[in-house]
Amino acid sequence: MMITWMFGAAILLPVLSGLFLLLRRGKIQNRRLKCVGIFLVMALTALLAVGLICSPDYELTVWRLTDTISLTFRLDGLARLFMGMTVAAWTLGGVFAFEYMKHEENEDRYFGFYLIVLGVLLALDQAGNLVTLYLCFEMMTLTSLPLVLHNMSHEAVMAGLKYLFYSIGGAFTALFGIFYLFANGLTGSFTPGGYLSAGTVSYTGTTGMTLFVLLLIIVGFGTKAGMFPMHGWLPTAHPVAPAPASAVLSGVITKAGVLAVVRVVFYMVGADFLRGTWVQYTWLTLALITVFMGSMMAYKEQLLKKRLAYSSVSQVSYIMFGLATLTVDGFVGGLAHFIFHSVIKDCLFLCAGAIIYNTHRTRVDELRGIGKEMPVTMWCFTIVSLGLVGIPPFSGFVSKWYLAVGSLGSGTGVFTWLGPVVLLLSALLTAGYLLILSIQAFFPGADFDYADVKKHEVNALMTVPMILYAAATLLLGMFPGTLIGFIQNIASAVL
Amino acid sequence: MGPNLALNVEEVAAVILFGIGFTTLLLHRNMIKKIIGLNIMDTSVYLFLAAMGYIEGRAAPIVENGVTDAEYYINPIPSGLVLTGIVVSVSVTALMLALTVRMYRRYHSLDLDEILIRMQREELK
Amino acid sequence: MNFVQNFPCFSIVLCMVAGIISTPLKGKGAKRVTLFIVSLVALLSFVTLLYILFTGTGFTYTMGRFPAPWGNELRAGLLESLLATVFSLVVLCSLLGGMDLIFTDIAEDKVNLYFILVDLLLSSLLAILYTNDLFTAYVFVEINTISTCGLIMIRESGRSLIAATRYMIMSLIGSGLFLISIAMLYGVTGNLLMEYIHVEILELAASGQYQVPLLVIISFCTVGLAIKSGLYPFHSWMPDAYGYATISSSAILSSLVSKSYIFLLIKIFYCVIGFDLIVQSKIVNVLFVFGLVGMIMGSVSAIMAKEIYRMIAYSSVAQIGYIYMGIGLATEAGMVAAVFHILTHAVTKSLLFLSAKGLNEASGRKRVYPALQGAAFRNPLAGAAFLIGSLSMVGIPTLAGFISKLLFATAAIDGSQRKMLPTLIVLEVSTILNTIYFLHTVVRIYTPVGAPEEYKDVRIHPTPGRIGALVALILMNFGLGLFSQPITDLIRAGIEMFA
Repeated sequence: MMITWMFGAAILLPVLSGLFLLLRRGKIQNRRLKCVGIFLVMALTALLAVGLICSPDYELTVWRLTDTISLTFRLDGLARLFMGMTVAAWTLGGVFAFEYMKHEENEDRYFGFYLIVLGVLLALDQAGNLVTLYLCFEMMTLTSLPLVLHNMSHEAVMAGLKYLFYSIGGAFTALFGIFYLFANGLTGSFTPGGYLSAGTVSYTGTTGMTLFVLLLIIVGFGTKAGMFPMHGWLPTAHPVAPAPASAVLSGVITKAGVLAVVRVVFYMVGADFLRGTWVQYTWLTLALITVFMGSMMAYKEQLLKKRLAYSSVSQVSYIMFGLATLTVDGFVGGLAHFIFHSVIKDCLFLCAGAIIYNTHRTRVDELRGIGKEMPVTMWCFTIVSLGLVGIPPFSGFVSKWYLAVGSLGSGTGVFTWLGPVVLLLSALLTAGYLLILSIQAFFPGADFDYADVKKHEVNALMTVPMILYAAATLLLGMFPGTLIGFIQNIASAVL
Repeated sequence: MGPNLALNVEEVAAVILFGIGFTTLLLHRNMIKKIIGLNIMDTSVYLFLAAMGYIEGRAAPIVENGVTDAEYYINPIPSGLVLTGIVVSVSVTALMLALTVRMYRRYHSLDLDEILIRMQREELK
Repeated sequence: MNFVQNFPCFSIVLCMVAGIISTPLKGKGAKRVTLFIVSLVALLSFVTLLYILFTGTGFTYTMGRFPAPWGNELRAGLLESLLATVFSLVVLCSLLGGMDLIFTDIAEDKVNLYFILVDLLLSSLLAILYTNDLFTAYVFVEINTISTCGLIMIRESGRSLIAATRYMIMSLIGSGLFLISIAMLYGVTGNLLMEYIHVEILELAASGQYQVPLLVIISFCTVGLAIKSGLYPFHSWMPDAYGYATISSSAILSSLVSKSYIFLLIKIFYCVIGFDLIVQSKIVNVLFVFGLVGMIMGSVSAIMAKEIYRMIAYSSVAQIGYIYMGIGLATEAGMVAAVFHILTHAVTKSLLFLSAKGLNEASGRKRVYPALQGAAFRNPLAGAAFLIGSLSMVGIPTLAGFISKLLFATAAIDGSQRKMLPTLIVLEVSTILNTIYFLHTVVRIYTPVGAPEEYKDVRIHPTPGRIGALVALILMNFGLGLFSQPITDLIRAGIEMFA
C-alpha cells in the first residue's frame, strides 16, 4: 500500500507541478522562490525514487485496457538502475539550468516540461509490459519535444519536427513488432530471461516472422538511441536545445531506447532465441557501423555541441553492441557503459553549456586558451573526456573492458575480434575529438596572447553539478565493484 | 441465352437503360444532362420492378367491383415500391435542379468543369 | 411486448416530428426543439441498449398492420442500439459545439431549416441503423443524401454549392447501384425483409441456382454503398464538402453519414447475404485492396493539404480505408475492429473538426497553416482538444485510436496469412503518415513563430456549448480507450446477434 502511494507520488508530483508551472507561466515574479520550489520538487521526487529503489520488487497494475492488455508497472534491478540514473541526472541538470536559463526566454515552459518529462521517465523505467512501455515511450517523446523546440527559432522548430518524426516513426516501427508478439500470445509482463527461450507460453508466431519483427523493434526503439540508420535526429536536435536539455536528452532520453530494447530482447523474447540468428548479426553490424561512423562524424564536426551529439551517437551504440553480443560480460559492459556514458555526456554538455553561457562561443576553434578563463569547467571537461576515451582509472575503461571481454567470448565469428578493433579505433577517435579540445584550451600555443584573458568562471550553481559529475567519473572508475556487482546480478537473471 | 433474352425483353431494356443513365450521370459534364441521366437510371429500375411484378392478364392491384381474390390482381408489392421510388426520385431531381439553378446564377454556366474553373479563378482574385 | 421495444420506432418518428414542429418556429425555437429531441433520442437509444443487454436478445418490431413476410419491420440488436446511442450523442455534441456558428453562418430566415435538416438526418441515420427492410433502407438512404446535401449547401457559398453538387452526383450513382441491386434481389428471392431474403439465398446457394445474378447483386450493392461512403477513389467530394460547410455540419457529416452506409453494408453482409457467401464471392478482397490504397492515398493527400479542414477531411478518407480494410479481412475480428473504428472515428473526427474551428477563429478565420501558427495559445481549449484528437488518431495508448489499431493488427495477424503482411505494412506506413500530418499540425499550432502580428493578442473565450461539446468528446475518446474491453465484447456480441 505504502509502495503504491510512493509510486504514484513519484510520478504525479513532478508531472503535476510541471503542469502547474505551465499554467502559471510568466506569472511568478519571484525567480528565487520559483527556483527553490522547482528544486524542492526535484529533490522530493529524487527522495521518493530512492525510496522506491530501496523497496523490494513489486508489480502494480494500474488499469486494465482489455482482458490481455494492462497498464502495469514493475520494479526490478533494471528499473532501479535506470531510475537512479534518471533522478541523478535530472536533479543536477535542473540545478545547472537555474543559472543557465537566465539567458534564455520562456524558462517557465522549460522547467514545466522538464519536470513532466522526469515523471514520465520514472514511469517509463518501471513500465511492466510492452504496451505500458510503448505508452510511456510516446509520452516521453511528446513531452520532451518542447525542450528541443525551446527557443522557437525556425531552426529549432525544424529540428524538433525531425526529432518528433524520427522518434515516433521508430516507435511505430516497434509498435507493429509489439502487435505481432501480442497477437501471437506474448502478452505477459516482463520476465527476466523472456518467454520464448524458456517456452513458458504457447506462442503461435513463426520463427522467421518473429525474428523479422524483432529486428523492427530493435531498429525502431534504436532510433531513440541514435542507432544507424535512424541516427539523423540526434545531431540536429541536440545543438538547438538549451545545454541542460541536451545533457539530459543525450544522457538519459537516448538511453530510453536502450531500455526498451533490453526489455524486449531480454525480458520478453529471451537472448537464446536470438543467439546466432541473422538478426543478432544485423544488430551487431548496425551497432558497429554506428560506433565508427559517429566517432568519425564527431571528429570532423566543428560545432562543439554537435560534436558532442555525434559522440553520443557513437557511444550509445557501444551499449547496443554490448547487448547485441548476448553475453553476460557484454551485457554488464553495456549497462555499465550506460551509467558511465550518462554521467560523462551530461557533464560534457553542461561544460559546453557553461562555455556558451559565459562566452557565447559555440565553435571548437574558438576555444583556444579557454582553460585560462574557465579553469574549473575545463578541468571537469578534461577529466570526463579521459573517462570517455577509456583511460584507467576513469570509469570508461571499466565498461570498455567488459565490452571487449564480452565480444571476445560471444562466439559470433568475425565479430569476436572485429568488435574490439572497432571499439579501439573509436576510442582513438574519441581521444582525437575530445582531448584535442583540452589541449588547446590549456596550451593554446606560443603565439597566444594572454593579455586580454581574464579568469571568469561561472558560478557555483553551474560548477557544482560539473564537479560532481567529474568526481563520479573518477570514483566509479576506481571503485566500480558495487555497480558492476549489481549489474551482474541483473545479467545472471536474464542470460 | 437468346430465348431467355427474348422472354425477358423488359428486363433487358431496363438494364440497357440503366447503363445509359448511369454513364450519362457519371460522365456528362452538363448538369441538365446529368439530371436526365439520373432520371433514365431511376426509371429503368422502375421498369425492371414493374415488369417483375406484372402477371399476364391480371388487373392493377386496386380493389375493383369488390373482388378481393388475390388471383385477380398482379403482385402489388413491386407497384408499391415503384410508387415510393418515384417519389424519391422526384425529390432528388427537384433538389438537383435547385442546385443547378443556384450554380447557374452564381457562375453562369451549366458545365461542371467550367464552374470549377470559374470558382478557382474567383478564389485566386 | 415490452414497452421498451417501441423505442427504436419512437426515436425515428420523434426526429421527424421535431422537424415538422420546427417548420413554423424561428431559429431559436427550432434549436430548442432539436436539442431536446436529440437528447431524448440518445436517452431512448441508451435504454434500448440496456434493455437488450438485460434480456440478452434483440427484437424485431412490426411497423403497421401487415405481419412479417409482407410488412415492414425494424430490428434492434446490441450493435444497432449502441451505434444509435453514439450517433445521437455525437450529433448533440456537434450541434452544441457549433451552435453560435450556425446562427452566424446561415441566413437568419434559414436557421430553422438547418435544424429541420438535422432532425431529418438523424431520423434517417436511425432508420438506416434499425431497419430490417431493404427498400426502407433505400428510401432512408436517399433521405439521408438529401438532408446531407442540404446541410452542406445551406451556407450558400460558391464552394459549398459545388461541393454539394459533387456529393449529390456521387451519392446518386451509389444509390442507383444500390437500388438496382435491391430490385434484382427482390426479383431473385421475392422478399424485402432481411431474414427472409437470407433464407431464400441460403436455399439458392445450396441448389447452385442464380449464381451469376447473386454475384452481380452482391457487387452492385457493395460498390454502391462503398461509393456513397466515400471509399477511395470515390472520395473527391469529401474535402470540399467537409471543408466549406458550417462546422456542425462538417462534424456530423464526417463522423456519421458515411459510417451509416458502412454499417448498412455490414448488416447486409451478415443478415441478407450471409457472411460465408460474401467471403466466397471475393468481394471483400476488392474492399480490402481499395481500403489499403485509401489508407495510403488519403494520408498522402492529407500531408499535401494546405488547409487544416482539408487535412482533416483527407484523414477521413484514410480512416474509411481503415474500416474497409477491417471488413476486407473477412473475419469476425476484422469486423469487430471495423465497427470499433466506426465509433472511434465518430468521436474523434467530430472533436477534430470542432477544435479546428476554434483554432480557425483564433486566427482571423483563416484556414491555411501559416495563419494557424501558435493558435493553440490563443485558444487553449481548442488546442488541447486538437492535441488529444490527434494523439488518438495517431494511436497513443489510453485513447480510442490505439485500441482500433490494436484490434486491426490483431485481426490481421489472426486472419489469413496472405493478408497479414500487406495489412501490417500498410497499417504501419499509414500510421506514420498520420503522425506526420497530425503532429506537424500540432507543432504548428503550438509554435507561435511567424504568427501574423495582428492575432498576437487575440484570446478566444469559447462558448459554454463549445466547452461542453469538446469536453464531452474528449471524455468519450478516453472512454473508448480505457473501457475498450466491454465495448469490444458488446460489438462482438452484437455481430453474433446478426448471424
